[in-house]
Amino acid sequence: MIGVFTYLAWRSTYNRVARQARQLRNPRYLAALAFGLTYLWIVAVDQRPERPPQILVGARWLELVGAVGVIGALLWGWIFGVERRVLAFSPAEVTFLFSGPVTRRGLVQYKLLRNQVLILFNSLLWTLILARERFGASPWLRAISIWVLLTTISFHRLGASFVRTSLLEHGRIALRHRIVSLVLLGALVIGVAWSIKDAMPDLAPGWAGGLTTFLDALTDAAGRPVPRVLLAPFRAMVRPLAAHTLGDWVRAAGPALGLLVLHYVWVIRADAAFEEAAAEAALRRARVTPRERATPRLAHRRLPALFRLAPVGWPAQALLWKNLLAVVRSRRARNVAAALALAAVVAGLLSFQAPGSVAEVAGWLATTWAGLSIVIGPQWVRNDLRSDLLKLDLLRSYPLAGRAVVAAETAASTLVLTGLQIGLLLVAYFAFLGNAHMDPPLGLRTIALLTVVACLPGINYLGMLIQNGAAILFPAWVHLGSGRPGGVEALGQNMLIIVAYSALLGAGLVLPGMLGLLTFALLRDAIGWWALVPGSLVLLAGIAVEAAALLRWLGGVFESTDPAGAEIAA
Amino acid sequence: MIEVEGLEKQYGDFPAVRGLSFAVRPGEVLGLVGPNGAGKTTTIRSIAGIIIPTRGTIRIGGHDLAAEPVAAKSLLAFIPDEPHLFEYLTVEEHLRFVGRLYQVGDVDGRIPGLLAELDLADKRTALPGELSRGMKQKLAIACGLLHSPAALLLDEPLTGLDPVGIRRMKATIVRRAAAGTAVILSSHLLHLVEEICTRVLVMNGGQTVAIGTVADIVASRPALSGRRLEDIFLALITPDGDARP
Repeated sequence: MIGVFTYLAWRSTYNRVARQARQLRNPRYLAALAFGLTYLWIVAVDQRPERPPQILVGARWLELVGAVGVIGALLWGWIFGVERRVLAFSPAEVTFLFSGPVTRRGLVQYKLLRNQVLILFNSLLWTLILARERFGASPWLRAISIWVLLTTISFHRLGASFVRTSLLEHGRIALRHRIVSLVLLGALVIGVAWSIKDAMPDLAPGWAGGLTTFLDALTDAAGRPVPRVLLAPFRAMVRPLAAHTLGDWVRAAGPALGLLVLHYVWVIRADAAFEEAAAEAALRRARVTPRERATPRLAHRRLPALFRLAPVGWPAQALLWKNLLAVVRSRRARNVAAALALAAVVAGLLSFQAPGSVAEVAGWLATTWAGLSIVIGPQWVRNDLRSDLLKLDLLRSYPLAGRAVVAAETAASTLVLTGLQIGLLLVAYFAFLGNAHMDPPLGLRTIALLTVVACLPGINYLGMLIQNGAAILFPAWVHLGSGRPGGVEALGQNMLIIVAYSALLGAGLVLPGMLGLLTFALLRDAIGWWALVPGSLVLLAGIAVEAAALLRWLGGVFESTDPAGAEIAA
Repeated sequence: MIEVEGLEKQYGDFPAVRGLSFAVRPGEVLGLVGPNGAGKTTTIRSIAGIIIPTRGTIRIGGHDLAAEPVAAKSLLAFIPDEPHLFEYLTVEEHLRFVGRLYQVGDVDGRIPGLLAELDLADKRTALPGELSRGMKQKLAIACGLLHSPAALLLDEPLTGLDPVGIRRMKATIVRRAAAGTAVILSSHLLHLVEEICTRVLVMNGGQTVAIGTVADIVASRPALSGRRLEDIFLALITPDGDARP
C-alpha cells in the first residue's frame, strides 16, 4: 500500500509544482521568481560575513534555547490541538481512500507522508537560512538535523492532537486508553511549572541584566536536577543541529533518531487506541442516548443591530459585511475578544494593587504582541480576497468595479486586525494605568495610545493591500483560503514571507512616515506632544495617497484576471 | 437584450469559442446545447463577465460588457451549475447580501415570496453547510432571481434538484421569460431545452452549428423532419450526421 501512497503523494506534488512552473510563461510570475531568488540569495548566501559574526557567541545557548522553544511548540500543540489540519483529507482522498481497501493506520501513514513535502521544503529553507558559519557541521548534516527535528515535532503534535480529540469526543473511555500519554504530559507540566517557580528568583535579576545575563541565568537554572531531566529529550532533539564536527553529530544523531522512531510508533499506536476508544464509545452511545444529538445552535446567528445590512448604499459594502460576519460568527474571534476584555479588566485592577509586577509584565507582553501583529497579523487574519479568490467566478459576476471589490475585501481584514491590536493596546494601557511612577506619564501615554489607534487602520490597510495584492497578482502561487500552512514545519517559509512583507510595508511607509515625522518636528515646539496628532494625520494622508494608487492598479489587475487562466491554488 | 458579436475565446493554442454571434430578445429563452467541450460554459461565462473574451463584443441591455461592466452586470444574473455559497451566511443573509450588491430597495418585501417560490421558507436561518445539494442550488437560484434581472444566464440549472424542484424551476424560468426576461439556458437535458426554450443554439467545437427554433432547424435540413430534438442534436454534432444510437 505504501507504493500507492508514494505514487499519489509524488505525482500530486510533481503536478502541482509543474502547474505553478507553467505560470513562468507570464512575465509577472517570472519577475516574481527573479525577485524571490534574489531575496533568498541575500538571506542565505550573501549574508555570510567574512569573520564569525557576533551571533556565534549565542550558539552556545542554541541547544538550551532550542529545547525551550521545542517545549513551547509542543505545549502549544497540546493546548490548542493545531495538528488537526494534518489529518484533513481532501474530498478526492475521502472518495478514493476511505471507500477503498485502506486501513485507518494506512490513512495516517499516507497523511504523514504527504506532510513530508512541507517538512522537506522547510528543512531546505532552514538549511539555507542557518548559514554554515553559525550552526551545524555541514549543510548536509544541518539539513538532516533540521528534518529530524521538524518531523519529530510534527509527529508529537499529531499524537497530541489524537489524544485531545479522543478525550474531547470520548471522555472517560479515552482517558483509560491515553493514561500513559497523559501521565507523561502531566509530569512534564508539573515539572516545568515547578522548575520555573524554583528558578524565578535567579531568572528575574538575570532578565533585568540583559539578554546575555538572562541566558546565563537560564543555563544555570537548566543545570539543576529536575530541569536537567525534563530538558534531556528536548535537548537531544536539538543537539545534532548544534554539533560542529562529524563526530559530535554522529553521537548526537542517535538519540534524536531514536526519539523520532519512538514518536512514529506513538502516533501509529495512538491512532489504534483512538479507533478502539471510538468504537467503544459508539456502542455506549447507542445504548444510552439513542436520540439525535446534533442540533444547530441558532443563537450565534442572531446579529446585533450594528451588523444589519441596509439594502441600499455603497454596493461593495456587502462584501465588507459578509467578511466581518464570518469573523463575528467564529468561535475563535469571540474567545479572543472575551479574553482581551477580561485581561484588560484584570490587568487594570492589578496595576493599582501591585504596581510593577504581574500587571507590568502583562502590559509589556501586550504591547509587544500589538507591535508584532503589524507584521505577523496579516498571516492570521485572512477574511479578505485571500479567502474569496477561490470564488473568483462569483466575485467577477457581481456588478462591482474591480477597485471596489479590492477596497471592500481589504477593509474587512484591516478592521479585524485593527480591532485585535486595539484590544492588545488597551490591555497594555490598563496594565500600566495604576503605575504612577511610570515614564512617560499617563497623559502622554493616553496621547500616544490615541495617536497609534488613529494610525493603525491606515498602516494595516496598506499592509493588507500588499497581502491582497500578492494574491491578485500571483493567484497560482499564493496560498488561498481561510487556512494557511502553519505549525513549526512551515515556520521557515512563513518567516521568509513575513520578512519580505515587512520590507515591502516598510518601503511603503517610508515617505508617509518621513512627512509625518517632519510635521511632528515642526510643530513640537509650538504644541508639545499634541504635535503627534497633525503628524499622524499627515502620515495617514500619505498612506491614503499610496493606497488609492495601489487600489487603482490592483482593481485593474483584478478586472483583467481571467479565472480560467489564473489556475488558482487552494 | 443580450447581443453577442464575433465572440472568440482562445486558451493558448486552443480555440474554445470561435466567431459566435447571436442575440436574445426580452421574453426569449435561448437553449445552448452541444457536446462536452463545445464551448457552452465558456460562452455563458463570457456573457456573465467572468471570462474575458479574446475577441468580440457582448452587450447587455445596450451596455458594452467590456466598456461598462458594472452597468451591464447589474442587469444580469448568472446561476452556475455548481452553487458557490458563503459558509458563514445564512439563507436569508445571502439574499440580503445580493440585495445590497444589486441595490434592491425592497429586499424585505421580496425575500419571503422568493423563499416560498423555491421552497426555502423554513430554511431562512440555515447555513449552507446544513443544506442539501439541491437546497444549495435553490439558494443560488434565489440569489440570481432576487433583483429581477433583465437577462438570466443559467448553466445546467436543474443539477441536484428533485422532481418537484425541477418542475418549479421550469415554471420559474417560463414565468420570468413571460415577464420580459431574456434567458440563456445551457443544458445537456435536451427534453428540458425542447420544452421551455423558444430558440436553440447548437454548438460544436466552439462554433455555431445551428441556431433558431426547432422548426427552423428542421426546415433547413429536411432529412431531420419529424425527429425529436435529441435526434436532431446527434445528427448535427456527429461528423456523418448520423442520428442513430
